[in-house]
Amino acid sequence: MELMLKGFGEVVKTVTLRVRRYDPEKKELPKYMEYKVPVQRGMTVLDGILYIKEHIDPSLAARYSCRMGICGSCAMIINNRERLACQTQILDLGKDLIKVDPMGNYDLVKDLVPDLTKLFRNHESIKPYIIRQEEKVTGEFLQLPEERELYSMFTECIMCGACLSACPTMATDELYLGPQALAQSFRYIADSRDIGFNERLNLLDSKHGVWRCHFAGACSDVCPKGIDPALAIQLLKGMLAKNVFVKYQQKPAKIGPDRKSILETAQS
Amino acid sequence: MAIENKKGWIFWFNPLKYSSDKWLYALHRLTGIALGLYLMAHVFETSRILDGPITWNSTMVFLDWPFGVHFGPYILSGILLAATFHALNGLRLTITESGLLMPKPYRIEYPYKAKSLRGWNMVLKILLGIFMIIISIFGIVYIFTGVIL
Ligand code: SF4
Ligand code: FES
Repeated sequence: MELMLKGFGEVVKTVTLRVRRYDPEKKELPKYMEYKVPVQRGMTVLDGILYIKEHIDPSLAARYSCRMGICGSCAMIINNRERLACQTQILDLGKDLIKVDPMGNYDLVKDLVPDLTKLFRNHESIKPYIIRQEEKVTGEFLQLPEERELYSMFTECIMCGACLSACPTMATDELYLGPQALAQSFRYIADSRDIGFNERLNLLDSKHGVWRCHFAGACSDVCPKGIDPALAIQLLKGMLAKNVFVKYQQKPAKIGPDRKSILETAQS
Repeated sequence: MAIENKKGWIFWFNPLKYSSDKWLYALHRLTGIALGLYLMAHVFETSRILDGPITWNSTMVFLDWPFGVHFGPYILSGILLAATFHALNGLRLTITESGLLMPKPYRIEYPYKAKSLRGWNMVLKILLGIFMIIISIFGIVYIFTGVIL
């Protein structure tokens, strides 16, 4: 135990955090400010930012919540690459100067806080839910584990928005759906319980849909959860191209027995 | 008031810190623009023949020796490299973007490595590199010496 804690809490070195500051109340362009932060072992960039808030400049704004890579609030550009601040160890970066920028391709609210409205609206627009024909569903939809494997990786998305910031198409096309939304539409289309391919088709096949992707692979590269949005988009393109010749068939999964009736028969 | 923070077109050409696909993307855009400009210049250049053989010959000499420097072969080599890269990478993108040779959705494992950028896509990227080397050696030797290897 003592061995494990050796060096814990000890200041290993001091790094400079160069943070891009923007205050919406002052009529000034964003500018960089430098802060000296003593680094302990295990300290993340988010810890560094919180250190600045506590000890140097309380006006620095950043968004965070879980501090463990689950909520997806703290994505920012650290040393020119989109990362989760709470998952990036300062010592792992191995630099004495760490550049912290807010994510690009979003509007900027304050300092390191981007306005993620675009991300959520795009996600909403592809209908991120199971689409069925039945009026009333009485039982569970049945699905095999193998069928779940076909989309399970994309359920892992924490909606941090790093992929949109890394996307070169997003950098110039305001209305592009973005890797996150496209990956999620693949997630629902590939789901054996869903039959919403045609409902989502118009949006995916539009001018700002899948064909805007030119496979720069930046989204898959930066995704902090290891999701592969670029893969989903290329598979979607294949689906859409095939759909021109052979209509894409979606067989809705069977519905399991009604739970209530099972309970009743068990009781009687 | 929130301000716009778009990365803009300059970001197309900034692949630093991203994967090899982003490098190829940047090069593809760059060569695409270069070839587009070249095509226009090329149409203009060949149209000079309408003004007769003397203008044509002087245009040819000027393009081979612009401002008294023997620069023509370098321009030609540049065009050859750009065209080869754009064509080969275009083929690679046609294949991968149709969802062919792409892996099936897989289970995520730490450390995260996106498989769409690896596997067959990596094979294609390596092939692209090999072809580029071969074609540029043959082409550039031909352009500078007129020898077909
Ligand atoms: S796909 Fe990855 S990078 Fe994009 S929002 Fe989801 S978790 Fe973040
Ligand atoms: S604070 Fe929740 S992901 Fe970083």
